[in-house]
Parts: sequence; structure tokens; C-alpha cells
Amino acid sequence: MIGFGLNIGNRGVFGAGGGGGFDADAQAFFDRVTAAGGTLSATEKTATNQLVLDMKSAGIWTAMRAVYPMVGASAAACAQNLKSSSFTGTFTSGWTFASTGVTPNGTSAFMDSGLNASTNLTLTSTHLSAYVRNNTKGSQYDLGCSTDIGAGLNVTALITRYITDAMYIEIGGGGYGTQTLSINSQGFTFGTTNGSRTQNLYKNGVLLVSSISSANNFANRNIYLGAINAGGTPIFFTDKQYAFSSIGDGLNSTQASNFYTAVQTFQTTLSRQV
Amino acid sequence: MSIGYILTESEYAQVQGQYYTEYQFFNCVADINGVWYLFLSTEDKIALVNTQWAWILDLPEAEYVPPTPPPFPPLEN
Repeated sequence: MIGFGLNIGNRGVFGAGGGGGFDADAQAFFDRVTAAGGTLSATEKTATNQLVLDMKSAGIWTAMRAVYPMVGASAAACAQNLKSSSFTGTFTSGWTFASTGVTPNGTSAFMDSGLNASTNLTLTSTHLSAYVRNNTKGSQYDLGCSTDIGAGLNVTALITRYITDAMYIEIGGGGYGTQTLSINSQGFTFGTTNGSRTQNLYKNGVLLVSSISSANNFANRNIYLGAINAGGTPIFFTDKQYAFSSIGDGLNSTQASNFYTAVQTFQTTLSRQV
Repeated sequence: MSIGYILTESEYAQVQGQYYTEYQFFNCVADINGVWYLFLSTEDKIALVNTQWAWILDLPEAEYVPPTPPPFPPLEN
């Protein structure tokens, strides 16, 4: 048997046996998962490799700072950042890890991304995203940090479905003005600024609302997943199941659409799409 | 309804923020009366067996009543 793989065009891995043939960034991620004590199935590797290729083809890979594909069904695997060895997550107690994604208990659980908003992000070019598999609502944040414990100052946050049946994106603001109706938290929610203070909120690649933020600044805090880091205190815990999340630079509408397509293809390959 | 382990102040100070695996640490929350609770998933409990943290699994359990969440910030007009 010849133990090598071939990339055909941009269609991922052909003959991936033996571990060869993967994109170098995907392979580096696989190596980090293994070094952490996690394991990935062949399907998870194929899907993740294609995700990297698709993001590169769409010109959005360079915009990524932290990408959590939530594969491997363990804390060790799901904590790893697909983009780089920086911003490795750490989970609190209270998470459930499965092949379908990661689920916090909605009471005390969150993941610390290790990504400090003020030192890593730019007000006019930032995005947050989350792929949610269940439909729940409550006083819950999906991603976020703020300066104050009231989550009202220098807020960077994504909310897929609040108890008010609304979704929000806030990037270094606090007015929560970029919001729209949300009666289903399932799917890929993506919020971004891209070259201005206009905040754009997308669901499954479709732009739902845009508005100008009353920008203040970023909080000098790490962004949490599953809650908001409110001045160092996690609050507004959620019980939503995550199958993907990312933090990075801003994307335009075409890139946002392509990002959704890439993530949805990834989830479909893993048979966990919603 | 959430059932969690009840911790004394001393036990809380002993576990809060401590790592029990390389990528997981304990996070306790206070209930409406200020009593500390620790919630563990099934895999958390498995991870603690035969470790220095196994004593947590013997703590009393009770229903958790969360404090009232802070008010949601006002919206822009």
C-alpha cells in the first residue's frame, strides 16, 4: 500500500490513509488535538480539513483568530483552536461533550477562549459566530465580555435567542441596538463589523439587521462561550449546544454567506447539521 | 430543576478555579441565599473518581435556586 494522499483541486483529501494529504493548518490542528490527549475520527478529520480548505478558498481564513470546530467529543479536543496554537479554550465543570457538539448546563458552565477583546480585536473589524443545534431561550448569552458586571459597558457579545425572543450582536458597545426577532436559536448566527461601526447580524448567511453602534471600547476581558464575562464574573449562562464557534476580524456580506456555506458543509459531513 | 453539590465556604475556597483536567476547572455558583453549589456533568464525575477531588462526589446534594439575573441593559432608541 502506498501511504500518501493527494489534494485534488480544492476538494479535500483523496486517500487520506496514513495521515497524509491534509492541509498543513488542518494537520497542525489534528496534531494539537492528539498532543492534548484527544482523538478524532476519520470523518471528523475529513470534515475539518475541508472546512479549512473552504475558508481559505473563500478568503476568510486569514480573518480568523479563534475557531472552535467542536469535534472529538472531549474537553481536550474541543478546547483546541483550529486557526493556531493560541487561544486554546478552557472549560469549566458542567459541560457535556458529544460527537454532535458541546453543551453547557445553563447554570454554571462556560468556556474561556483566552482571547482578550481589547488586545486582539478592532472595533471596526470584528466578528463573532456560533452554530447552535438546539432551540432554547432564556436570559442567556452565547459569547461575550464586558467591562462591568451588568453587561452594559464595552460589551462584545453574540446572543442567538434571548428570553425576549430577540437576537443581538454588540461589538465594543452597550446599546444592544443591533437586534431582531429570533424565535429559533438553531443554526449559524454571525455578527460583524467590517470597516465601520455598522454592526451586521446574519442568520444562516442571510443579513437580518444592520445598525450603527454607539461604540465605546472593548473590555479588557477574555471572551467566554456559554455565558458573558461580565467584568470578570460569568453571568447569563446558557444551555445551548454548540457545534462551532469563531472569533475574528470582520467579513463582508459575500464572505459571510460563504462562511455559512463552509460551516454548514462541515456540519453536514458530520451528520449534525440543523 | 438543577441538583448540585453544596459546598461550605472552606470547600468553595478549596475547589474554585482549580483544574481537574488539563482543560477543565471547577466553577461554583451561589444560589439565591448565597450558598455555594457545584454542578458536575456525568463525564466530570467520571473524571473525578480516584483523584484528589473524589471527595466532592460525597458532598450533600440539593436543588439549586438561582439568584435573580441582573436586569438586561436598556436598548438604544
